[in-house]
Amino acid sequence: MKKAKFSKLLLAVMLVFLLVLTACTGGDKETSKESDGADKKTEEKEDGLFSVDDFKQVKTNEGEAIEGGNLNFGLVSDTAFEGTLNWNFYSGDPDAQILTWFDEGLLTWDENYVYTNDGAATYEPQEAVSEAVLATLPADQATEVAENGVTIKFQIKDNVNWHDGEPVTAEDWAFAHEVIANKDYDGPRYGSDFTNIVGAEAYHNGEADKISGIEVLDDKTLQITYIQSTPSLVTGSIWSYPLAKHIFGDMAVADISSSPEVREKPIGFGPFIVDSITPGEAVVLKKNPDYWRGEPKLDSVTIKVINPNVVVQSLEKGEVDLISSFNVDQYPDNADMANVEYLGKVDRAYTYIGFKLGTWDKEAGVVKPNPDAKMADVNLRKAMWHAVDNDAVGNEFYHGLRWNATTLVPPSHPEFHDDTNPGLTYDPEKAKQLLDEAGYKDVDGDGVREDKNGEPLVINFASMSGGDTAEPLAQYYIQSWAAVGLKVELLDGRLQEFNSFYERVGQNGDDDPAIDIYQGAWGVGIDVDPRGLYGRDAIYNFSRYASDKNDELMAKGVSKEAFDVEYRKEVYKEWQQFMVDEVPVFPTLYRSIIVPVNNRVLNYSIEEGWANLHELALTQEEALKAE
Amino acid sequence: MWKFTLRRIVTMIPQVLLLSIIVFVLAKMMPGDALTGMVDPNVDPNTIAEKREALGLNDPWYEQYTRWLGGVFQGDLGQSIHFKMPVSELVWQRIVNSFWLSAFTLVLTYLIAIPLGITSGRYNDSWADRLITGYTYVGFAMPIFIFALVMLWVFGFYLDLFPTGGSIQPGIEPGTFEYIMSKIYHMLLPALSMALITTVSTVQYLRSEIVDTKQKDFILTARAKGASETRVYNRHILRNSLLPIAAFLGYEITGLIGGSIFIENIFSYPGMGQLFLSSISLRDYSVVTSLVLLFGMLTIIGGLLSDIILSLVDPRIRIK
Repeated sequence: MKKAKFSKLLLAVMLVFLLVLTACTGGDKETSKESDGADKKTEEKEDGLFSVDDFKQVKTNEGEAIEGGNLNFGLVSDTAFEGTLNWNFYSGDPDAQILTWFDEGLLTWDENYVYTNDGAATYEPQEAVSEAVLATLPADQATEVAENGVTIKFQIKDNVNWHDGEPVTAEDWAFAHEVIANKDYDGPRYGSDFTNIVGAEAYHNGEADKISGIEVLDDKTLQITYIQSTPSLVTGSIWSYPLAKHIFGDMAVADISSSPEVREKPIGFGPFIVDSITPGEAVVLKKNPDYWRGEPKLDSVTIKVINPNVVVQSLEKGEVDLISSFNVDQYPDNADMANVEYLGKVDRAYTYIGFKLGTWDKEAGVVKPNPDAKMADVNLRKAMWHAVDNDAVGNEFYHGLRWNATTLVPPSHPEFHDDTNPGLTYDPEKAKQLLDEAGYKDVDGDGVREDKNGEPLVINFASMSGGDTAEPLAQYYIQSWAAVGLKVELLDGRLQEFNSFYERVGQNGDDDPAIDIYQGAWGVGIDVDPRGLYGRDAIYNFSRYASDKNDELMAKGVSKEAFDVEYRKEVYKEWQQFMVDEVPVFPTLYRSIIVPVNNRVLNYSIEEGWANLHELALTQEEALKAE
Repeated sequence: MWKFTLRRIVTMIPQVLLLSIIVFVLAKMMPGDALTGMVDPNVDPNTIAEKREALGLNDPWYEQYTRWLGGVFQGDLGQSIHFKMPVSELVWQRIVNSFWLSAFTLVLTYLIAIPLGITSGRYNDSWADRLITGYTYVGFAMPIFIFALVMLWVFGFYLDLFPTGGSIQPGIEPGTFEYIMSKIYHMLLPALSMALITTVSTVQYLRSEIVDTKQKDFILTARAKGASETRVYNRHILRNSLLPIAAFLGYEITGLIGGSIFIENIFSYPGMGQLFLSSISLRDYSVVTSLVLLFGMLTIIGGLLSDIILSLVDPRIRIK
C-alpha cells in the first residue's frame, strides 16, 4: 500500500518536472519565432537567396575613432592552438591567425597575388644572373642557371626593426632560409620553393656549409638566385619571413621550435607585441609604437580561442569584435545581427567531384593512368557532370553563398578565371544521350544502365562527413545520377570520416581501388599554377589523370614566355577548356567567405593583400551588443 | 597492509603495460596519422613524406611502441607531434587546470550531496524526500552534455552571468588575487554543471545507507540510552552511513586529474579531457598513449586508495 502511494507521488513529481521542461521549450519557441520575424527585415532577396556580390570587402566606417582601446579577436577553433608562434615553424592555421598580429612577411602582394614593393622590403629582379653565384656551380649547371634562372635583389626598409629594437637585417632573412633548409628543421616549409634556390639542396644534404645562391650584400640588402625563373616565383614562391638571428643564431635548429622565444615570448616586427600567452587559450598583445608603417591606433589586442559552437552568441554579446572564420551555413539565420557588419568575398577554393582514372606509382612518384578504369570513358564523366544541377545545390543547401562552379580556376583569381567558359551545364537529356551513345544502355529494363558489355554498373562514391549538409548533399548527387539511369552508391554505404577519406583517396599513394568517384575540396594557393593538384608527379592529383597535352599546357603556364600576363591568361584559358573536355574532375561549387565585424571597428578590410592592422581603431570602449 | 599495497602495485605493472599496448595498437589502426591534417596543395607532399619518415611513422607498430616505451622508462613521454613540445610539459599545463576544476567540482558535489542525502534519509517518504529523490532520478536520466549545454546557454549567454569559455581572463598577472578570483569565476559554471549531475549517485547512496542504518539495533540502543535525536543522527547514523562515500573517495581523488571530456569541451576549458579528445582526432599518438597510461594508472591507484581509506575508517574491514 505504502509503495503504491509512493509511486503515485513520484508520478506527480515527474509530471511537475515535465511541465517545467515543456515550459522551457515553450520559451524557446517564442524566442526562435522572434528571430524568424526579424529575419524578414534583412535585405534578403525575395527568393531567400544571398549573393557574395552584395557584400563589401571594406568595413563601413561609422562614428569617430577613440584613442587606443582594446580589440577582441576570436580565434574560432575546437582545439587549443599549438603555440608555435613563428612563421618559419608554424603548421596550423590557428597559429597563423595569431602570428598575423605581431609578425609579417617582408613582401606584400596585390589583388592578383603578385608581390608589390609596398611592404617592409622591395624586390627587383636583376638583368643577369649573379656572377658570384654562377662561379660556385660546375660549368654545365652554371650555363643552365644563367639561361633559365634569375637573381632577385631585396632591399629591406631602414625603419624595419624587431620588437626588441634590433634592426631586421639581410642576415636574418638569409638565416631563415638556412634554418628551413637545415636537415634538422622540423617545420613543414622545406619544399620546391627552397630547392629552387641555387645551392639549397646541397646545403640540405649537408654537402655545403651555406646556401651558395643567397648573398648578403650589406645589412639591409639580400640577393637570391633561383634556378628556374617562372611567373610563379613572384606570386608566393619567395620565402619572405626573416628569423631573428640575434636570438636564434646560437640555438640548435632542432630546438628552436620548442624554445621559449617561439612559444612564450615570441618575437616579430609587426604592429603588435606579444604581452602574455595563456597556452592554448589566449594571447594578449600591446601596440608596437616603433612599427615601421606607423604607430598602431589600438592600445592592445586580445586573442581568445572560442569554440565554433558558440561563435554566434559570442558575436551577439560583443565578446569578440573580429573572428578568424565564420561558417557560411550560419549566415542566413543571423544575417540581421544588429551589432555587426558582414564583409564577404570569393573564397580561394572550390568543391569538386573527381573520377578515379588510375593509381599512384610509388616507386617512380608519378601518376599511373589506367585506360581500363571503370570511369575511363570521357562521355560517362561528361554525362555525370551534365546530370547534376549545382545551381540548385548552391541555392538549396547554401542559400546562394556557394554557387555553380564552371572551371578549375576559381573566380578568386580574377585575372585567370575564364568567365566566358560555362563548363558543362545542367542538362539531364544531354546526359542520357551521351550515355546512350557511349553504350551505357539499360539492357535488362530495370531502369538502371549497364556498362558497355551489359554487365551491371555500380559506381562507388566516397564523400566526407562533417556538417549538417554532407549527407543530404551526397544523397542529392546520387539521386541526380539515378535520374539519368546511373547507379551510384556511397562507399561502404556511409560517409567517410576526414582521416579515412584522405587515406583511401590516396594522400599516401595507397589508393583504395573500391573508390570510383569522390567529392573533395581544394583551397588553392595564391599562385594559379595547377601543377600541384593536376600534375603528373603530384600525389594530390587524386583522380590520377595524366596526359601529354595536360603536361604541356601546365608547363607553358610557368614558362619564360608566361611572364607576359596575356600569354599566361591564354594558356590557362586553354587549360580550363581542356579540363572541361577531359573531365578528370569537375568543379561543383565555388565558395564565399563571410566575415562578421563588430560595428565599433573602423578601417578593417578583407581585401587581398590588405595589411594595415595598425590602422584599426574603435569607436567606443565597450563592444556593441545585439539587442 | 603494506604487503597488500605492495602486491597491488606489483600486479598493476602488467595491467598497465597491457593497457598501453592495446591503446597503442588501436590508435595505430585508426585511419590517417598526425600529418593527414596537412593535406594542402601549398605544402610540398615530399616534405610530408620526409617528416613521416623522420618521425618513424612508417615503422611497424611494435618498433614504434618499444621506442616509446623505452622513453617512458627513462621518464620521457615523447614529443607531441601536433604541439611540437614534450608531452610531459603539455600534460603538466593541462593537469593543473583539470585538477582545480575537478577539486572544485568535488567540493560542490559533497556540499550538495551531504545535506540532501541526510534530509532525504532522515525524513524518508516525506515530501522533501520525494522531491530530492525526484531530482536524483532526473539527474540520473539527464545526459551531462545536454545539461551542460543548457547551463551554458542559460547562465552564460542568456543571463550573461558567467564567462562562456576558457580558464582565465586573458592578460591578468598570474599570482595576484584578481587572477585567483578570475580562475574561480571561470570554473564556477562548469563545476556546478558537473556537480549537479554527478552528485545524484552520492545522494542516493547516502540516503539508502541512512535509511538502512536507522533500523539497526545499535540505533535502538542509542535511543534507549536517551540520546537526543540530533545526536543519534549526527554521531551514530551519519558516521556509519558515510562508508560508501569513503569507498568512492579514492576514485574521486584520481578523477581530479583525469578531467572531464564533456565539460571541458563544452566550456572550452583547456584541461586533460579536452587534450585527450583533440589528440585522438589529430592522431597525436604519443599524447594519446601517454594519457591512457596515466589514466589507467590513476584508476588502479584510485582503487587501491579506496581500499586503504575504507580499511582506515571501518575497522571491521581488514585487508589481508
